[in-house]
Amino acid sequence: MTASSFDRRYLLMAAAGVFVLLIVVYPLWQVLFRSFLDAGVLSLKSYQKVFSYPSYYRALLNSVWISCATAAMCMVLGTLMAFLVVRTDLPGKKTLRTLLVLPYALPSFFAAIAWIQLLGPQGYLARLFLQVFGFATVPWNIYSAGGIVFVLTVHYFILVFITVAGALERMDASLEEAARASGASTYQIMRQITLPLVLPAIMAGGLLAFIGALANFGIPALLGMRARFFVLTTSIYYALAIPDFGLATALSSMLVLVALVSMAFQFGIQKGESRFTVISGKAVHPSELKLRAVRYPLFLLTSFFVIFMSILPILSMVLTAVMRYWGAPITAANLTLQNFNYVLRFEAAQRAVMNSLFLGAVAATVAMFVGTVISYLHVKAKLRGTRVLDFLATIPYAVPHTVIAIAMILAWARPPVSLYGTLWIILVAYLAVYLPFAVRTTNSTLQQVHDSLEEAAKASGARLFPRLRDIILPLARPGMIAGWILVFMPALRELTVSILLYAYHTETIGVVVYNLQDAGYREIAAALASIVMGLLILGNMIIRRLTGGVAGF
Amino acid sequence: MEKIRIINLAKRYGQVVAADAVTFSVGDKEFFSLLGPSGCGKSTVLRCVAGLEEPSEGEIYIGETHVNSIADRINVPTEFRPIGMVFQNYAVWPHMTVHDNIAYPLKLKKLPKEVIETKLKDALHTVGLERLADRYPSQLSGGEQQRVALARALIKEPEVLLLDEPLSNLDAKLREQMRFELKDLQRRTGIPILYVTHDQTEALAMSDRLAVMNAGRIVQVGTPADIYTHPADRFVADFIGLMNFVPARILSRNGEKATVEFFGTHRLNVLDHSGLSGECVVAVRPEDISLSPAGPIRCRVEVSSYSGHLIDYKVRANGAVLRVQTPKTAIYKEGAELGLTIERALLFAARESERAVAKDKVHR
Repeated sequence: MTASSFDRRYLLMAAAGVFVLLIVVYPLWQVLFRSFLDAGVLSLKSYQKVFSYPSYYRALLNSVWISCATAAMCMVLGTLMAFLVVRTDLPGKKTLRTLLVLPYALPSFFAAIAWIQLLGPQGYLARLFLQVFGFATVPWNIYSAGGIVFVLTVHYFILVFITVAGALERMDASLEEAARASGASTYQIMRQITLPLVLPAIMAGGLLAFIGALANFGIPALLGMRARFFVLTTSIYYALAIPDFGLATALSSMLVLVALVSMAFQFGIQKGESRFTVISGKAVHPSELKLRAVRYPLFLLTSFFVIFMSILPILSMVLTAVMRYWGAPITAANLTLQNFNYVLRFEAAQRAVMNSLFLGAVAATVAMFVGTVISYLHVKAKLRGTRVLDFLATIPYAVPHTVIAIAMILAWARPPVSLYGTLWIILVAYLAVYLPFAVRTTNSTLQQVHDSLEEAAKASGARLFPRLRDIILPLARPGMIAGWILVFMPALRELTVSILLYAYHTETIGVVVYNLQDAGYREIAAALASIVMGLLILGNMIIRRLTGGVAGF
Repeated sequence: MEKIRIINLAKRYGQVVAADAVTFSVGDKEFFSLLGPSGCGKSTVLRCVAGLEEPSEGEIYIGETHVNSIADRINVPTEFRPIGMVFQNYAVWPHMTVHDNIAYPLKLKKLPKEVIETKLKDALHTVGLERLADRYPSQLSGGEQQRVALARALIKEPEVLLLDEPLSNLDAKLREQMRFELKDLQRRTGIPILYVTHDQTEALAMSDRLAVMNAGRIVQVGTPADIYTHPADRFVADFIGLMNFVPARILSRNGEKATVEFFGTHRLNVLDHSGLSGECVVAVRPEDISLSPAGPIRCRVEVSSYSGHLIDYKVRANGAVLRVQTPKTAIYKEGAELGLTIERALLFAARESERAVAKDKVHR
């Protein structure tokens, strides 16, 4: 009896606890702790440094205003598009919607690269503009704060679009019908009824865009660093290159603080939104606004917009990939496949593909496995302390990836355990980054598995491991597979973590594309990016098919 | 020989007391029910027996095995208890066929394949599912899933079978049929059953004995007939079957014979062991009232409904509405002025609110 009365679930919990401590808690603690350390003693010197040098505190201010501007633009654009696609009789809405979401399936630094190709000096659109209007130079500069806000908006407005479109779809149509019955005009209804009701969704989406912009590295790195315009993420990158760990950790702590504050806001809005009983889960179809005379003009305008935002960057990337050199006139003579040929034989690219596939597959597998264990303990076993475990595992969700990379350097790049320069340190960082996604997916999967199914297994005489093997895991399998792909795909295209942690021989796809672009090999970067893009879009289609359109980017 | 013995069981969730001072035992081959309204703690008790909840206090024995003891820090995990259990939602595993669902407990015991197949054949036969062995649960009706759950619970030959509202998800006709099947199955196998239900007809029809629970405590344990004819208190009287309650006052008492006065001046002699005095309520079953043109208490038929084997009336007497059920010998029309006779009654203490009403009526 003594052997059997020991609850093996505590063994599982201890193992998961140790994992989370090593991967999440200890590294992040190192960031915070080291930011208050100077030559081995506690001090505020690093923070003093941040606030006494304009180049550092400006990075903080830049981060905040760039993210605010991005969020504002995203809210306007996302809300407008959501209204058009959900609430009007615009033709071809389904296709528009699919195309709108497309850019988000690609990593943000691909977008930066594509927009440099389009709008940069010698860019396709820039040259077209000069030809058509006869200017000597284009009146914009993509390598600037404005350029950063532009590309961030193009990349993140979809977050507002999705939340607002969802709220509009769930809204009770009778509220608007009541206003109409009271004699309100369509415009009045939109202004006075609909807009206030979806305002929480607009705010929530705006905050998501804010957090995304704040944590983004690729876009400000490719567009800002050349113009010596720094935000927090790029400053941290810079501070690590010096290297000044005190500075890097102080900047990181401030970045995390801003992210946490905005997340607290977002949480507050979500809570407030749930009080809005009018937006229920009911399947009532809100009426469609008849656009009448402006239907086709508006359709043309929207189509133009979607082509501009979603199709052009992809076309530009593919076009650059098949050009002899970027900036050459687009003629048949200048088209070539040599870039693809080069990429396929380029050793670093081959290595990077293998590395990314390995990292993505292992990270997805381990994260889903650990995620399932944590979810099982939290959702099913409900042991004491599992709530804390679940919370600790979801912390990295609030932490920008730059900071996670630094945390790994601080925790696992020093003796006795020095993983620096190996794939393992990137793997550990990926695990921290993707564990929250894994836990959230498995949590919702296991919540759908009724408790009595496990209890029946207990009553049948099944001990913990047979129970997990025969009942819990098979029932959770569909959710686990979807979750696996949801981790694998972003890991495949990851840049921010790997650019800070890679060494010779441990490059990832993102690192190679970034370095090629940064070193001026734009056509080769574009060729590699095009291949990855094709794979990502294909993968995304598979996910949407697998999950019935629920998941995907 | 007692198969389940529960001594002074209590289960608390923080401040909430789900079960308290629960003591009872289930004998060999006995069908024992826990009956009570939802939230009375009956499922908690069952889940403690199954080991799915840990009691805050008390002892539980299954057969000879001491499975729960706070004093000795014993809490045998569910998977080591000699039980079979059927859940309210059947909990048939959707990713396994009927065959694999039922065979699972034997596979865990690592029995040889031939033994498993032989036992499985028997089990499928017992519940009449031979033809459905290769189906998946989603291809089965509720009743069939129920049988799968039952076969799965029985196949490991447990010492006791625990059933948690197993019939409540079935439609009325099937429920009736399963009731007899369950009872029959128990007769054949002789397995002791602990059965949890909120349906009093179910409990009365199937149980050898039952315990009525209210607010976490057992109010009465007895045979169905005991509980129906001698409810221990007003809650049981009200919960089991139909009961009319009329405010009354005890005028005099001679040992176990009490004379009560109600409806102003009507008097009745009641056999009563409670020793009550003063204000009380008279409790009368609808079938213990007879109607005739000459009955002593005047009444008027308000609703008369024909329900096959008997006639169900609502009559108004002295301002109160009473349920009366009579055989079909005489049928009275709605609006008929009649007299009623109370043939058998019980006395219970009055509640505060009824005291006021009773006084009011007496003084008027």
